[in-house]
Amino acid sequence: MATSTVSSIPLSLSDRLTAGIIALMIGAFLVFGAGLANSAVLHDTAHDTRHSYGFPCH
Amino acid sequence: MIVKTLLAAIVAGLIAGVFMTAAQEWRITPLILHAEEFEGEAPAATEQPAAEQPATPDHQQHSSLSGAPTFAAMLSALSPITPAYAHEHEGEHEEGGIMFGMSRFSGTLAANLVTGAGFSLLLAGISLVIGYPLTLANGALWGAFGWLAVHLLPAIGLPPELPGFPAAELGDRQAWWGATVLLSAAGLYLLALRREIVAKLAGLALVAAPHLYGAPQPLDISSNVPAVLGAEFAVAALATTLAFWIVLGIVSGFINDRFLTAN
Repeated sequence: MATSTVSSIPLSLSDRLTAGIIALMIGAFLVFGAGLANSAVLHDTAHDTRHSYGFPCH
Repeated sequence: MIVKTLLAAIVAGLIAGVFMTAAQEWRITPLILHAEEFEGEAPAATEQPAAEQPATPDHQQHSSLSGAPTFAAMLSALSPITPAYAHEHEGEHEEGGIMFGMSRFSGTLAANLVTGAGFSLLLAGISLVIGYPLTLANGALWGAFGWLAVHLLPAIGLPPELPGFPAAELGDRQAWWGATVLLSAAGLYLLALRREIVAKLAGLALVAAPHLYGAPQPLDISSNVPAVLGAEFAVAALATTLAFWIVLGIVSGFINDRFLTAN
């Protein structure tokens, strides 16, 4: 548990997977909100960003 | 440690988002503003950005907002640029508008920060899950693969579009786009990081599959927006997103090397 092995990734396997899955979920949520969510306010705020990233949004 | 890893990714994403905003203001926003002047039923034409394009022939349409000069004046005081109002497919015009009374520029900046952090977390998440570290040495490659999966490969079927471009049903395009990004990412992983020849063939098949299936296309491709603008925009959008991803990869790699691995 508390051993620190010399590794290129400083996390244990379960920590690594936990961090990775959390990162994927938050990342997908943020990208969806800024890029794809069908809300007029979000759309108008992110309008130029959506176009320039090529998100299909309207 | 998990929190530190996530924070590192978010910081890298914010830096790349700021960079992306600068690149957009330089190459993208002028093209979007130009295209909005041609956009069929654009309510965005309530206020003519006369400073940018003094003598453009324009098909100005009156919208529900044109009867509110005080509101328009208020907005123009906040921003040199017309806010982008909901387009013709949006049902809820009245509820639109930019969050928190931000100007168009700060709205774009905020959206870029959120998108940058989002893509950065996705990149970090993939790196963690597949156990292949993102470092300064391979950061640019990570970024380039992100760009291939999220931008170039989907753009083969659905090129980056300007306001006023004809397009197929939104839900169909979003579904095709999302599926293409996922299949491309999986395919690129198999192609780049697996040694087995079978995996590489499967990767190639995954990358090709959405294009063989075909992206949803509009029935009528006529548009008021000049084709030259569209071509310039497609190149500018792909170029700026490539720069964004490479900056994101390098900054992520730098932060990982500096603050996460070197203890």
